Amino acid sequence: MATVEVPQLSGYHRPAVLDWITTVDHKKLGILYLYFTLFFFAVGGVLALLVRTQLAVADNSFVGNDLYNQIFTMHASAMLFLFIIPVWAGFGNYLVPLQIGAADMAFPRINALSFWMLPPAGILMFAGFIVDGGAADGGWTAYSPLAQQTGVGMDMWIIAVIVLGMSSTIGAANFLVTMFRMRAPGMTMFRMPIFCWTMLVTALLQLLATPVLAAALVMLFIDRNYGGQFFDPNGGGNVVLWQNVFWFYSHPAVYIMILPGMGIISEILPVFSRKPLFGYKAFVFATIGIGGLGFSVWAHHMFTTGSVLLPFFGFMTFMIGVPTGVKIFNWLGTLWGGSITFPTPMLFAIGFVSMFLIGGINGTFSAAVPVDFALHDTYFVVAHIHYVLFGGSVFAVFGGIYYWFPKIWGRKLNERLGKLHFALMFVGFNVAFFPMHMLGLDGMPRRIAVYAEGAGWEALNMLSTGGAFLIAVSMIPFIIAVVWAFMRPMDQPDDPWEANTLEWATSSPPPEYNFDSLPPVRSERPLFDARQGSGEGH
Amino acid sequence: MLSMPLPRHLRLLAVTLASGLLALVAIGTASAIQPRGITDEAHKMNDLFWIVLIVALVVFVLVAAALVYALVRYRRKDDELPEQFHGGGKIEVAMVGVPVLIVIALFTISMLTLIEIDDKAPDDALTIEVTGFQFSWQFAYKMSDLGTNSDPNADPDDAISIIGTPQNDPILYLPVDEPVEFLLKSNDVIHSFYVKDFLYKLDLIPGRVNSFTVTPRETGDFSAQCAELCGTNHALMRFVVRVVERDEFDAWVAQEAARQLGEDTLVSSSGKQGD
Ligand code: HEM
Ligand SMILES: [Cu+2]
Ligand SMILES: [Cu+2]
Repeated sequence: MATVEVPQLSGYHRPAVLDWITTVDHKKLGILYLYFTLFFFAVGGVLALLVRTQLAVADNSFVGNDLYNQIFTMHASAMLFLFIIPVWAGFGNYLVPLQIGAADMAFPRINALSFWMLPPAGILMFAGFIVDGGAADGGWTAYSPLAQQTGVGMDMWIIAVIVLGMSSTIGAANFLVTMFRMRAPGMTMFRMPIFCWTMLVTALLQLLATPVLAAALVMLFIDRNYGGQFFDPNGGGNVVLWQNVFWFYSHPAVYIMILPGMGIISEILPVFSRKPLFGYKAFVFATIGIGGLGFSVWAHHMFTTGSVLLPFFGFMTFMIGVPTGVKIFNWLGTLWGGSITFPTPMLFAIGFVSMFLIGGINGTFSAAVPVDFALHDTYFVVAHIHYVLFGGSVFAVFGGIYYWFPKIWGRKLNERLGKLHFALMFVGFNVAFFPMHMLGLDGMPRRIAVYAEGAGWEALNMLSTGGAFLIAVSMIPFIIAVVWAFMRPMDQPDDPWEANTLEWATSSPPPEYNFDSLPPVRSERPLFDARQGSGEGH
Repeated sequence: MLSMPLPRHLRLLAVTLASGLLALVAIGTASAIQPRGITDEAHKMNDLFWIVLIVALVVFVLVAAALVYALVRYRRKDDELPEQFHGGGKIEVAMVGVPVLIVIALFTISMLTLIEIDDKAPDDALTIEVTGFQFSWQFAYKMSDLGTNSDPNADPDDAISIIGTPQNDPILYLPVDEPVEFLLKSNDVIHSFYVKDFLYKLDLIPGRVNSFTVTPRETGDFSAQCAELCGTNHALMRFVVRVVERDEFDAWVAQEAARQLGEDTLVSSSGKQGD
């Protein structure tokens, strides 16, 4: 389709480093996002292994109580704020303009600014480890008044999170304008690739929720440093106010962390089933529904504070199960009657569906308010978090990497290594996190540095730690596959998977300006139509 | 890639997915079992837990079976393009309808349980004031508020109190078969009063008093601990709930009162029975 013979400008060449630092090309920025976030995935992973090592046996003194609190706080902060939220901005940056047939994002320089805010924030947050009092240690939730007590590492954390929030807010505005204004001729909103739709709703959530977090963080900073009393009952403030504002952001934020992952697997499943996504519009409305409902359930994190309206928040939380259920049907219906193949991206997509199913189901336990009285702040919730964020989001990240690697780098990751990676990760993940359900039911609270001998939690914790290390081992075949791919020549055709969306209509990797020519867009699957030699219509 | 022989991929997928999923179901049914709890309220919450668990397992098994079936049945066998089905109509109504029904049913049952367990303490119930602090607990029993054995003439300020340390877990004495009301307070940071065998936790929040009532039905020692991150030694904020017969409770009160308040305010175990 596209020609690869792009005439190269001769003459002046910027040094490669300078080129990367000054680039405003959405593809290069997307790649930078991916490198940055995968780096912090590794950092967060090492911290997770420290957590699991500490918890492997009872009464362990591997890390002290103080350090332990810093480690799990920074584990979660890295995974959420420096990995999973910005990794979607990375995929989005690379893919949204290509998928809608545009030459770049609407505001390329602002796009570069969004990215370059991340490294200083990441460094600032982690520099907490070298200052007096250590890194932030109040949990990623930074509940006040505990968050008033700790050292300057906490201030660094607050500023870092504010900066990260600014980055995603302006990034969100950029995505929205890009999708509203720059779609190719013929691409109506309801012909937009499903990944773009999930990025659109994610961007809306970021735009509406992130400023609330920023405001809360500024209040916390004032309380800590300038004698404010927003959250201090002795000065007329309110302790629970923090939790309300924090979760008003952070519940929508959990959808910010998963919706684009759902978009990714909704690209992958149809391609390898050779069918369109089942119920495209239902999927779009379910996504919007999740986004909307997401703003009315924040207090399900606060059922045990004794200060929230339990029936209302219980009801809304259950309701969020509905659009979630719709999506499971979308994916099953896509597979049903298909012609299914199982390359690595598909394995991760199927892994996502099965693990996210568990994560959705165990979430309903906590929606049942009286059941949550027992489960809240135990390892059951840690299991839930990870079934959605690891079994969900992280599997989608890897599915997306295997799927778009040929497009981004012009090379394919080795299939055998990919399958080994998937198998190890899938097994390791379940061994690490499934036992946490039982630990939680058996009363093990989360965020404890030690548990007593004889509490009956030893065996399951040891098992879980074994699983965590198996996850770490699963990264070895992945790394080998990446290194190996880069040692080989670029040999990938425009469309190695027989895919559906516009990014596969240009060369692999695409030229700087993206497209030489665009196929006509008459449905949400322009490439499928082109292969069939007819516009199928929708 | 697409031309590689399929069976091998399939075996790999089938082995990881099917064994993973089936193992989960098996383990889930066999051992995801909450302790039944020792209070009336816990028993009701545990019943609700079982209802949710059964619904969850049914949903899980149906969806997982459909998934595995689709993957095996519809794997690629030839080059023919499958029917290009976009969905629509009745199926999409069912996609919304089925989850709505399940969710409304679960919500209704949860609310019924919530109403049942949210009982108010009778006026003469034993009242215990629990104060969480970094990093242990204080349990205060007012002499005028000891339940069936309160001393109506006691000075309203007279109270016995048990204070723990991170190294020395305090013991919370409760008489069996009587409603107990807890008043939860904190002066430093947020803590959470969590007794596994109550199947219940409630936060201690500076600037507010939370309360709840339970009726323990079993005697014995039950370990418990703080469930809200509260700083360095959060993990050591443990305590023991000791549920005993009423005589034993009275004897313990008498002994503590003698120790803490001196002879004159002693409530003898022979009982100046309250009203
Ligand atoms: C190697 C993989 C991982 C392992 C072994 C692991 C392990 C853990 C453990 C043991 C905790 C509990 C710490 C405690 O309460 O004391 C935890 C908390 C958490 N993890 Fe992970 N984790 C992993 C990956 C991830 C990923 C990929 C994400 C997000 C995308 C994530 C997000 C979280 C969050 C949000 C918490 C809650 C932290 C808090 O409440 O302070 N984890 N993790
Ligand atoms: Cu939430
Ligand atoms: Cu605590």
